[in-house]
Amino acid sequence: MSSVSQRPVSKRSSATVFYTLAIGSGVMRTLSVAFDFFGLGWFPINPLVYGFLSQWTSFAVTLIVVVVLSLRHSSMGRRRAIGYHLDPDFDKIQLLPKKPMVYVVLAGVFAGVSTLAYYLLVGSSDASTVLPYGQMVIIYLLVGDLLGEKDTPTIVEIQSIVSILFGVLLIGAEPGGFDIGSLLIVLVPLNLSSAFITYYQRKAKRYEIRPGLRVDSLNMRLWSLLVLNTMMSLLSIPMLPVDWIGIMTASFAPLSLMMIGSSLATFVSIVMYVQALGRGSMSVVNSLSAVSVVLGIPVTVVGSFLGVSVISADPFLWTLKILGVILVVIGVVALQASEVKSLVLVKVKPLTGDLLLSLFDIKGVEKVSALAGNYDYILSIKGRNLAKTRTKILSRIHKIEGVADVETLVVIREYR
Amino acid sequence: MEDRVQAYILMDVEIGMTDDVVNGLRKIEEATKIAVTTGGVDIVVLLETSSLVELYNITVQKIHKIPGIKDTQTAVVEKMMST
Repeated sequence: MSSVSQRPVSKRSSATVFYTLAIGSGVMRTLSVAFDFFGLGWFPINPLVYGFLSQWTSFAVTLIVVVVLSLRHSSMGRRRAIGYHLDPDFDKIQLLPKKPMVYVVLAGVFAGVSTLAYYLLVGSSDASTVLPYGQMVIIYLLVGDLLGEKDTPTIVEIQSIVSILFGVLLIGAEPGGFDIGSLLIVLVPLNLSSAFITYYQRKAKRYEIRPGLRVDSLNMRLWSLLVLNTMMSLLSIPMLPVDWIGIMTASFAPLSLMMIGSSLATFVSIVMYVQALGRGSMSVVNSLSAVSVVLGIPVTVVGSFLGVSVISADPFLWTLKILGVILVVIGVVALQASEVKSLVLVKVKPLTGDLLLSLFDIKGVEKVSALAGNYDYILSIKGRNLAKTRTKILSRIHKIEGVADVETLVVIREYR
Repeated sequence: MEDRVQAYILMDVEIGMTDDVVNGLRKIEEATKIAVTTGGVDIVVLLETSSLVELYNITVQKIHKIPGIKDTQTAVVEKMMST
């Protein structure tokens, strides 16, 4: 295992690599959905049976990849796992400590529900519809944050919520009106559980095993996938057709390429996302990887040429769909772009102990450093606007026992 | 032995020179983050170097030679947590 301080300093901070990773993560997400659609389109098979088969194939693929990544090799004089280059917190395949494991299990349970909903949707619609649906989770996360902190929403937050909601409604439009069944699946199981997944994953990822060492994303993916599959299988068994075992054995060979493709694409997408996060801010990464929403349209069109799916030729319906996609993308990007960053310099009273952890525990604090010099700590904080930065973050810093003086520097321009 | 030393450089800039100073700072490879701020100081730079000697060399030979910087204050990071 390697702590943060032992990591080599990257000699070049290349913007190109960052943009490639962030957009690549979105492209890979699209690819994995595309594999599912093509697989389902070419072989008429119950989508739940396909999902069952595909998820366990995905687990097998991930298990093999993580085992291979656990192999060691010499790099810069140290014996490191190959996976170290993907996630510097990674050492080898292993169970997580108790507390983060509980978070991962909880995330997995909700992921099971959401994945089941995903396969139900994949069976009844196309890629250009399912990909934007996934962005709805942002609304739930926002509303959750607002309710949790008894906070009033800013105008940008309301704008984003409305824009994404209307966008999703437009995308879901069918020739005969709205497809109420699909919309209900989207609104409740798919995205509500995604919100819980994000919440628990954040908690797991923020947990420190030792100072400087965090839960790695590779083991986290592996174990949450195991829980996800178990949960999804339990839920879907009552809904499967009677002879599902027969169908599965018969369709495994022809579908295996599609399923391995889909799971590899998902895995690469997650790794690229984590890598991009390490190089840039989360907001830029999320905005760039929202490219998957737009890419769903070409995938669906290509699919219809290959005879995978039948799409409506009605230009009006397509206009509605494209307007919806634009609304969703604008909603996502507007929200991510409206952030106020500040640096806070903190001086403490004499005889005060270590405040690093209690400062880092405040929501909105992205980075804390203990300093040698005139100031004792510097914090990077992020808020939706200045008023919120003051009420939600600064006032909490003031309340910490031992803080003597706080100086806030608002960032007006940033280069990295 | 640590193989990385990080430091924040807080600096005051002469009026009208902010853009020139930022352009000068962006040429320094070890300056991984540059923030122009409002408040007590004008620019905050995060430097990532391999040793204190390198930190000294960069501050004295590169940063202090950028015209327009009035005053700097270097704060070496002892411990850092980030998401």
